[in-house]
Amino acid sequence: MQFRLEKRREPSKVMLYATPVAAVLLTMIVGAIIFSAIGYDGVGAVREIFLTPLTNSFKWQDLGVKAAPLIIIGVGLSIAYRANVWNIGAEGQYIMGGLAATWVALSTHGMGGWWTLPLMMLAGVLGGAAYAAIPALLRTRLNVNEILTSLMLTYASVQLIYYLVRAPWKDPMGMGFPQTKRFAAEALLPNIFPGTIVHAGVPIAIIVALVAWFIMSRSVFGYQMRVVGAAPHAARYGGFSENKTIWLALLVSGGLAGMAGMLEVAGPFQRMVPGFPTNYGFTAIIVAFLGRLNPLGVIFAGIVMAITFVGGEVAQTTIGLSSSATGVFQAMMLFFLLAGDILVRYRLKRVAPQEARA
Amino acid sequence: MTSELIIAIIVTVVGASTPILIAALGELVVEKSGVLNLGVEGMMLVGAITAFVVLFTTGNHYLAILCAAGAGVATSLIFGFLTLSLSANQTATGLALTIFGTGFSALAGQGYSARPVTLMGPLFPADLAAHPIWRVLFGYSALVYFSFAMVIGVWWFLKKTRAGLILRAVGENDLSAHSIGYSVVGVRYAAVAFGGAMAGIAGACFPLLLTPQWAERMTAGRGWIAVALVVFASWRPFRLLAGAYLFGLVMTMELYAKASGGPLSVIPAELWAAMPYLATVVVLVLISLRRDASSNAPACLGRPFLPTN
Repeated sequence: MQFRLEKRREPSKVMLYATPVAAVLLTMIVGAIIFSAIGYDGVGAVREIFLTPLTNSFKWQDLGVKAAPLIIIGVGLSIAYRANVWNIGAEGQYIMGGLAATWVALSTHGMGGWWTLPLMMLAGVLGGAAYAAIPALLRTRLNVNEILTSLMLTYASVQLIYYLVRAPWKDPMGMGFPQTKRFAAEALLPNIFPGTIVHAGVPIAIIVALVAWFIMSRSVFGYQMRVVGAAPHAARYGGFSENKTIWLALLVSGGLAGMAGMLEVAGPFQRMVPGFPTNYGFTAIIVAFLGRLNPLGVIFAGIVMAITFVGGEVAQTTIGLSSSATGVFQAMMLFFLLAGDILVRYRLKRVAPQEARA
Repeated sequence: MTSELIIAIIVTVVGASTPILIAALGELVVEKSGVLNLGVEGMMLVGAITAFVVLFTTGNHYLAILCAAGAGVATSLIFGFLTLSLSANQTATGLALTIFGTGFSALAGQGYSARPVTLMGPLFPADLAAHPIWRVLFGYSALVYFSFAMVIGVWWFLKKTRAGLILRAVGENDLSAHSIGYSVVGVRYAAVAFGGAMAGIAGACFPLLLTPQWAERMTAGRGWIAVALVVFASWRPFRLLAGAYLFGLVMTMELYAKASGGPLSVIPAELWAAMPYLATVVVLVLISLRRDASSNAPACLGRPFLPTN
């Protein structure tokens, strides 16, 4: 029996949504086999990483807190990737958003009010968008590849944190630790459920995704992003400016990454520390793809990815699996998803033996 | 500045430049065949951990390099299968490969950190490199001479051989190459595997040549700089050599600024650490101002090959 690939007239909607689910399931099965083969407790690893965070209700608040930044950044990246703009420096834009918010928090320390958090949010969004404006400017003016510039700027921004917390922003009362002082109460995100760690960033993430979904599917802006990405020639013919699309894609994705940075520093971190870059910006790339570049899909993908993070921590304490195993599982998921993409555009057809010979 | 110091600086520059040069040469061949593999950083990390583990268990440097190359090929074939056989998006697959390599190397390297190995010794006998001047020429390990040989080798292969001509044809016009009867996918698989071997060897440079131990993410973005260098060199091997050494010089200045406390240390150490990445951006801007910048790019770069449509 032989198979042949036949191009579909239209991309399959069923496959478009079935392949991410299949990718997650395949990752669990193949992951269990591979991890067993190399001498780990494979089934245990998969159970702890993928199921424990769901079955253990104590872990749900962790899921929300981890998923929020992934969803916010992932929504921005899904918009950019739709327009074929490859911003892979969201981590750097997240850092710059966090730093801009920190600057507001530190300079208003002791004289803040109800307006502190909104101002920090504004600074965070602007900080992320401004950092993404550099690749946008270079791409539109000089045709410099945005993949490389946005990534290189990420490495540079990490050094900026190290410098700021070591010298000008260092907490003099911090017993020598390179970190800023803890933010004042009005510069910290309120917890929405008393007694939990669930902060205001969690509902904000859902709102961001819903608004983005509405804009992408119902507005001219969303149409422009999709058309420029899918059919650049047609878009030019239709009067959509490619440069404007590149600018919008980078500013929106950078601004949202900056927003996530603000929410993280004012939420879980409560101060700026050298460990602030936690790879949310890179993981959100997987989230965007797993969510099929659709803001609603990104919500689910963000939760799945948060499960692997929380589960990775569980597996670390219960069965001693390194946290880096999480990265391997996440990459496998993306591999399976990309491999499955072919089924969206092609169908698998059984070929009769004589036909195959011909 | 004494001549001793100058020689020490030259030796450091060579060490810093070698892995970038080797990885970039591999990526250059891959891109010439029309494929953009952004997974260089991931393949380098897989090569680095493989080389470290082999060296740690056997003590044989050459076996470590060989295994690193093999591991690089194996990793690159994941990319090859997805993008060439299943025509998956090359940008996304390359990113996934880097995420995979980062996670895999960290997992495989568990328990190996802070365990020392010995650096690779010089290729030539010590007598030959006794005088400082001769040390600049004959004082390096085999990996350094390998990188120079590969610059010439890649240039010769692409310019002077029939196989190189076919590879370039596949990168410039895949449909024509296909219609004359060349296997586009086959050629690209070979190029991707070569890029994987080179990235693996480049990764091996880190534990064998630079710091004799394993550390997570020890390649620190050098794979991405290699990708940028290929653009910088506008796909020409000898310009790649110049570019790699320019970056090696920038990285070496960082090391000396941290160590010496001299005039270079006026600039904060963090800015020095950020310098190679900022320099990459500046360099990309500078080449974009040149008129022939993108004209030399392989025409099919990054486009999947779909003969049936």
